[in-house]
Amino acid sequence: MQRFVVLTLNGLTEGSIYAAMALALVLIWRATRVVNFAQGAMAMFTTYLALFSLEHGAPYWLAFIVALLSGLLLGAVVERVLVRPVESAPPLNVVILTLGVLLMLEALAPMLFGGQIRSFPAAFSIVGFRVGSLQVPFSASDLFTLVSVLVAMALLLLLFQRTDLGLRMRAAAFNPEVARLLGVRVGRMLTLGWALASLVGALAGLLIAPSLLLYPTYMDQVLVFGFTGAILGGLDSPPGAVVGGLVMGFALSYVGGYFGSDLETVGAVVILVAVLMVRPRGLLAWRAQRVV
Amino acid sequence: MLEIVDLTVAYGPVVALERVSLSVAEGSITAVLGANGAGKTTLVRTISGLVRPRSGSIRLKGAEISRLAPEAIARRGISHVPEGRGVLAELTVEENLRLGGLCRSDPADRRVGVAEAYELFRPLAERRHLPAFTLSGGERQMLSIARALAAGPRVLLLDEPSLGLASLVLTQIMARIKQLVHERQLTVLLIEQNARSALSVADDAVVLSLGRVVAHDQARRLASEEGLRHAYLGF
Repeated sequence: MQRFVVLTLNGLTEGSIYAAMALALVLIWRATRVVNFAQGAMAMFTTYLALFSLEHGAPYWLAFIVALLSGLLLGAVVERVLVRPVESAPPLNVVILTLGVLLMLEALAPMLFGGQIRSFPAAFSIVGFRVGSLQVPFSASDLFTLVSVLVAMALLLLLFQRTDLGLRMRAAAFNPEVARLLGVRVGRMLTLGWALASLVGALAGLLIAPSLLLYPTYMDQVLVFGFTGAILGGLDSPPGAVVGGLVMGFALSYVGGYFGSDLETVGAVVILVAVLMVRPRGLLAWRAQRVV
Repeated sequence: MLEIVDLTVAYGPVVALERVSLSVAEGSITAVLGANGAGKTTLVRTISGLVRPRSGSIRLKGAEISRLAPEAIARRGISHVPEGRGVLAELTVEENLRLGGLCRSDPADRRVGVAEAYELFRPLAERRHLPAFTLSGGERQMLSIARALAAGPRVLLLDEPSLGLASLVLTQIMARIKQLVHERQLTVLLIEQNARSALSVADDAVVLSLGRVVAHDQARRLASEEGLRHAYLGF
């Protein structure tokens, strides 16, 4: 039982990271029908920028903000400079392009920051809380991870559901042509969508770095698990991405805990296949069904 | 109000419109008639900027708009109700209408625009918080038109508004649009296959055939020209 609680808490924390990654992928997929394979590498790069700031004397929170802002900027630049020119080309071109960005960033990072494995500090203590005499495997740092992912999601939800800007962004994602006829500057909305997705990715990169350690490919696995979570939830649904990411977190934690950590990746594939056999369009895809 | 001169549009080697010229007076309804493939939809899509013309000019109150992006044209007061799939199915009725008003700069105007849309189209008010994909075909067409009006347009481009609408509803909608034409000097370009009903509401009419203008006159006079009616309008 105690083991179950430990694995559940662990799954919750990791799941929130996968949820953030899945959400970033879904934001871009929904707006541009592109799976951004560079999402993880972009988050890796911005986390290196945070480390770079720390090494040059910046306090932790400043470095944190540097990473988030550079994520915002990097997303916008990738969309404007690289994705926009091939927008009207077949979708595969853009996918190959994001793979190119992935390779480029993973080659650039060791040149700029060195290729060795580095440690990255956590914002809060990584020692578990004490309940009476018992130490639970859930630390202030884990709590911070969970809370910041939840806050990011709540802010995005508010933006999309409650503001005019969010309404424009949704319209641009659902039907660009009609949105343009209504005066929505679709190009700007797409840039903003990529920027926000990349911001969420940068957050995930920062939060997972203390436990995974920092090296140029450290986000690859997070991207794969986040992507699996996004597909689980139905690629079109932001709430689905969050649920899918959490499911991945729990499932991988249980598989790793009960069957050995070597089987985690196999577990991810098994879960994916199982869910897609039952619900081919993803767990929450019924929300995205449309009758035209 | 809207002046089109020598407009030529081609999709690759296929010429869809050839040297089309027509003018639409402020505060009037002009019907654009013609068979399938005559170029009617291409004409409105070019006016709203979705299609780039090969040559020619489109002027709104004297200002050239043919090189502007669709979103810029919409912000200048041209509202295009596209044929068929115009509503954003995933958004609610209310969100669709709000979106229509968003190109107005004054937030007060936006609210008024949405409120008026509900007043004009009562059935929409009852469904305001439902996603648009739950609406019937006729209600969607209604929403599409209501959303265009919520933008407070100077020019309304209606592409086949009769599609999917019961004729009674269509008559009501056209009566309201006529009212706006008289009260607010709204200018309307009405694309229709059903020439008889279009001619009954329009002031002027243009007949397109294979991408060319073959007649441009007062609706009343066109309706009475038997040869033209038989040749191009099918009644």
